[in-house]
Amino acid sequence: MTRLQRILIWIFCAGVALWLVAPTLVIVPISFAEKKSLAFPPDGFSLQWYANILNSPDWSGSIVSSLKIAAIVAVVATVIGTLAAMGLAKMKAGPGGILRAILITPMIVPGVVLAIGIYAVYLDHQMVGTLVGYVLAHSMLAIPFVIIAVGASLAVFDTRLETAAASLGASRITTFFTVTLPLIAPGILSGLLFAFVTSFDEVIVALFINSPTLKTLPVQIFASMTRDSDPTVAAVGTLIFVLTSFTIAVGLWLGTRRRRS
Amino acid sequence: MPKLLRQPAWLVLPAILLLVVALGYPLLQVVIRSFTDPEPGLGNYTWFFSRPVNMTVFWRTFEVAGWVTVLCLVLGYPYAWLMTAVGPNMRLLLILCVLVPFWVSGVVRTLAWVILLQDSGVINKVIMALGFEKVRLIRTQTGVIIGMTQVLLPFMIMPLYAVMRGIDLRLVQAARSLGARPVLAFLQVYLPLSLPGVFGGAVIVFILGLGFYITPALLGGPRATMLSTLAQQQVLQQLNWGKGGAMGVILLASTLVLLAIAARFTRRRYQISGGSK
Amino acid sequence: MKRTAKVALQAGLLMTIGLAAQAQDAPVAGEVAEGSLAGKTLTFVSYGGIYQDGQIASLQDFVTKSGVTLLSDGPTEVAKIQAQVESGDVQWDVVDTGTLTPYVYCGTLFQKLDLTKIDTSNIPEGQVGECSVPAMNYGTVLMYKKSTYGDNPPKGWADFFDTENFPGTRAMPGDSEPDTTLVEIALLADGVPKDQLFPADVDRALNKFRGLGEDLIFWKTGAESQQMMESGEADMVIAWSGRAMAAQKNGAEYEPVWQDWIVVMDQLTIPVGVKDPDASYALINAAIGKRAQEIMTEQTSYSPIHKDAQPQVDELLQKWLTNTPEKVAMGYQQNIPYWIENYDEVETKWGEFIAGN
Repeated sequence: MTRLQRILIWIFCAGVALWLVAPTLVIVPISFAEKKSLAFPPDGFSLQWYANILNSPDWSGSIVSSLKIAAIVAVVATVIGTLAAMGLAKMKAGPGGILRAILITPMIVPGVVLAIGIYAVYLDHQMVGTLVGYVLAHSMLAIPFVIIAVGASLAVFDTRLETAAASLGASRITTFFTVTLPLIAPGILSGLLFAFVTSFDEVIVALFINSPTLKTLPVQIFASMTRDSDPTVAAVGTLIFVLTSFTIAVGLWLGTRRRRS
Repeated sequence: MPKLLRQPAWLVLPAILLLVVALGYPLLQVVIRSFTDPEPGLGNYTWFFSRPVNMTVFWRTFEVAGWVTVLCLVLGYPYAWLMTAVGPNMRLLLILCVLVPFWVSGVVRTLAWVILLQDSGVINKVIMALGFEKVRLIRTQTGVIIGMTQVLLPFMIMPLYAVMRGIDLRLVQAARSLGARPVLAFLQVYLPLSLPGVFGGAVIVFILGLGFYITPALLGGPRATMLSTLAQQQVLQQLNWGKGGAMGVILLASTLVLLAIAARFTRRRYQISGGSK
Repeated sequence: MKRTAKVALQAGLLMTIGLAAQAQDAPVAGEVAEGSLAGKTLTFVSYGGIYQDGQIASLQDFVTKSGVTLLSDGPTEVAKIQAQVESGDVQWDVVDTGTLTPYVYCGTLFQKLDLTKIDTSNIPEGQVGECSVPAMNYGTVLMYKKSTYGDNPPKGWADFFDTENFPGTRAMPGDSEPDTTLVEIALLADGVPKDQLFPADVDRALNKFRGLGEDLIFWKTGAESQQMMESGEADMVIAWSGRAMAAQKNGAEYEPVWQDWIVVMDQLTIPVGVKDPDASYALINAAIGKRAQEIMTEQTSYSPIHKDAQPQVDELLQKWLTNTPEKVAMGYQQNIPYWIENYDEVETKWGEFIAGN
């Protein structure tokens, strides 16, 4: 490859990287706007929208609800998904493959179709806007991510270690907790994270099944965007952006450090 | 411990149960309602296919998903390649640029696009500074495509990168040393080896694009509606469960047909390149 | 004698109790008993933006005094109310609606109101319906961009349809709820004489809009219309007066055309099957109080429906009040009874039009 070609590819990719990250940054100046408007560029400077996150029950309440639901979903989906991944790993290729394909389906079903169905069922069973309703729907949506993450760990897991433990007299339960679990822990952890984020970001189903007493943050953001011209939405977005970037950066940094040492 | 419990199938059971309750049953409801509400029969489907506006939206949905897939591929392919060709620190930065938008919620990123694409937004300011006419982007199909491409790009880059990372570059070098020109070496060696990634990424992006809701709903006006939005309106705004359900079934069926086609192709591909793993 | 005295005493007692009870029951607009709703939660649903903010602010006194927890939700969508009513799980306690819906769905989706539980004595005549009381009055106005039209600005609705003399993008409401006044306006612009407007030719009206072709864009929520003015996206925008004012406040260079501005009234309703109707009544009774209406107006520019309300408004707001004699004289009043009768047709056709048919 010539030098020129290389330079061109670099420029192109720098552009793509910019395209991926930069657009989102536009919400940062808006979050400090002085007027209640989303016009760009904003006039003046104020922190009132950040204060509003705490002061307005709509915002603070939805953040708390989202965190609560996502935390429960992370645990539920991780337990169920890890069990399933272990079962799949032990199954024969044929039936295991089919089951695996079935368990991945939540990823490919278009969100709206699912949302309509879930809304219909929840209306019939008075589950609209209930914690159980959210947890059920979001756990189902998160299961594939957990299965994939844990499955990846299990794929490189040496089953002879389990056999060795068993031959030394360890019970199945002991073997699981002392041998298997620590070794697939990274997979479970990333499954947990995936499940948490799946629930925390989920918006389509939540848009259908939310109620005034229990609504999640993405629903509140969506509602605010369609109903108000309120920079609070930019303040919340900025916080999410900063926290996410920070978490990923730390995660990547720790990951490489461990690999290098 | 009873022998029966040692069957691996038991471990999968809770997940299957959850799927039956929270996925299977609701989907069944959608299908049933599409054939029974307001009256039994194929009424909702004949209604869908006989109305020009529905067909416009139907084809527009495919058109938009297609454009987004092509754009993601064009932007993502060189990027994924570069990720394999740089040192570890640079790679970390490039990965970070993909992961951050991947994890930041789609609603927030769409909000950014609403601000960027509005008529006095940054993009139009740049266009006007370059001496061109102002373009209407928000509430147009172009705007929707721009926003969706950015939101979906990570889904293209990751499978591409995963496949390209595994390509043995010595193969390309071998081709070059045998006298192949760089372009030819790329076309005949590297590109075919990277095709599984291209295919995987394209299928994911296209399928996600078909069912996309948030970005078209917020960036597109009533005249840039996609199938998901139309189905949502039928149910939430008109309370036509049957019509909304029929649209949902059509959307789901389109997705499944595409997946089936994709599965056939990938199987053949793996057979061709079988053993390379 | 003794007997008579006893009877008299009993009667007197009964009367006293009755009076006391009545005194306790007869509501006064804007008043609520201290702590009467402690521990309860009410969800108030409206159209968002400065309007809902203003409404919530006007209810602050009610919240503090009654001890109720007030949640807000929205935007108002008839289908959502229908879904809640049909499933028997009603979560919206008081709903702010447009002009027609409470009449169209009176008794089916909205409760017939027991007017002994609300003090409607200060509301102008003719505004209280069987299922609704007014929330406020406002206007839908034609806004135009100053920079586009310069010395020759549009002067009325006909100019909205005149792309030759007034080129540029125009934006109109694109919600699924039909704006029936715009149907009338389009017919008038198309040359239908005012006395032959009804029965209204809905198709002809919508075709008038269709004729604008690529020049016509839609907004779905008030926020979007405001955004369109603040970003300068459209050269003419049909907007709610409160949103238009908010846009001006944020620096949008647009001016209203007041000729034939559309008189609109939002209404307060209680969906059928709410869990605690008395609490809903209490909220409505508070919202139509004198002070509450003043606060609402001071924050939104929408006109109060309490006849004694004296809102303190600044200069900008003064310009936007729609209840001044000059404005009232210029306003256009739609044929409400006709549209209630013919709602189904216009709803269907409007929906098709919005979807692009």
